[in-house]
Amino acid sequence: MNTPPTLVSLTDDQRDCYQELTNVAMGQAADRLARLLDSYVVLPIPKVNLIEISDLRMAIEGARDDDAISAVCQGFIGSGIAGEALLLFNDTSFSDLARLTRYQGEPNHQAQLELLMDVSSILIGACIQGIGEQLEIHFNQGHPVILGQHCNVSDILKISHQNWRRTLAIEIHYTMEAVNIDCDLLLLFTEDSVVRLNQKIDYLLD
Amino acid sequence: MSNGNIEMGDIHWLMDILQNIDVGLVVLDQQYKIRLWNGFMESHSGISPQLAKDKNLFSLFPDIPEQWFRQKAEPVFQLKTRTFTIWEQRPYLFHFKNYRPITGRATFMYQNTSIIPLESVNRSIDHICVIIYDVTDTALGNEESHRLRAELTKLTRIDPDTGLLKHDAWNNEAERELSRSQRTGTPSCIALLRHPAGTTTPQQRQDIAQILTKTLRQTDLATRIDDQHLAVLLPASDEGDVRFFAERVRKMLARQMSNHSSVNLHAGIARAWPGFATVTHWFDAAKSVIPAEHSDPDHVIQVYEKPSTE
Repeated sequence: MNTPPTLVSLTDDQRDCYQELTNVAMGQAADRLARLLDSYVVLPIPKVNLIEISDLRMAIEGARDDDAISAVCQGFIGSGIAGEALLLFNDTSFSDLARLTRYQGEPNHQAQLELLMDVSSILIGACIQGIGEQLEIHFNQGHPVILGQHCNVSDILKISHQNWRRTLAIEIHYTMEAVNIDCDLLLLFTEDSVVRLNQKIDYLLD
Repeated sequence: MSNGNIEMGDIHWLMDILQNIDVGLVVLDQQYKIRLWNGFMESHSGISPQLAKDKNLFSLFPDIPEQWFRQKAEPVFQLKTRTFTIWEQRPYLFHFKNYRPITGRATFMYQNTSIIPLESVNRSIDHICVIIYDVTDTALGNEESHRLRAELTKLTRIDPDTGLLKHDAWNNEAERELSRSQRTGTPSCIALLRHPAGTTTPQQRQDIAQILTKTLRQTDLATRIDDQHLAVLLPASDEGDVRFFAERVRKMLARQMSNHSSVNLHAGIARAWPGFATVTHWFDAAKSVIPAEHSDPDHVIQVYEKPSTE
């Protein structure tokens, strides 16, 4: 691993800039989701943080150990900036989500997978493209991967034994008005990407 | 990709690449008519580009579930976003043969697909491109590892003699249930069941386990503690439910093992009260109320009362 010798850091200006970039991108994402589900999406304030690997679990708001969740991740890369988008769905969201889409009755395992994929395609895609457009980066996206269905957060995060120490995490907690839908979108960049991203951000700030 | 440096003269070798790349490329218009059909698609489907051109996708391939595919493709047209399908949702979009018909274990090709918007000159999305990837090896490897993991979990969690959970695994489940119950306030119970010692053979113990398994709901978990004791974890049940359950097990044991009149079951029941810090506390509470061996036959099932103030 050729990790940078010093830990990545973030100034207040840079943090604000990331937050603004994300605001715009997820506004587009929320708009698309709202159109797909024909329901009002509450626009959250994204949280931009530099986190240590040990904090990853804590970075996921409202994620409780004993709540069953389902998760999808999707890698993206462009102009030397790489990362992963993680979408975590509280399993209690599925019945309301199914009601908003064409699925009838209580969704079974397969229907939940479809819902998970439909929503993650839109949320992740729109967010990544939105950020990419603003920074003039074309991101290629890998195929989504199901990290787990009906498991708990620690099961999902156990999978990764990464060699990174500290990285940039953008967390967006989506909720919807009047329905019980609760999901977390987490954008994680690799440590070396943060250095490049910061350069792009500084360019925007100047 | 920057298209600025592509010249007209280059088109013919770009076409060559499209033809030979080992990935399926299909361009569809808004009526789902096929506008491009590359070499990969031709080879695997046996349908030539001339034949495929301008045909409706769903009439050419009636086994593609139209509503499902539209659900994935419409957002691409309308929202200008990419969508993806993975083999876990449906193993394939197009039913093609496995690339390795002789040594491959699958009879068909597993596929992931990406559906991307194609912008026209006026920036509207009139066409989409479906990209088909062969992921047979990944899918088979994944399914195999899932199967092995399930088997391994079973081996480490299940006692092969009785089919009940092993004690450690049960303890972990009970721990999780205790914290869940305390957090949400939904009642959960442990029932500790005892049958007389020394009077049962291994075969009988197996029979008891089997009868017990039959009376359990899917969410209930049982384990054998020792020669005499079995513990059952009953999530989302109050003492009344569990008393009823214990009564039922008693009756079934009495009926089905009538030739062994000695199988007389005693039970102690404890709910997951907020005062219990660990599973051991909870378990001991159930143990503390289990009636003595020769107690009154009307009182063979006892319930741990809520601790007064804790």
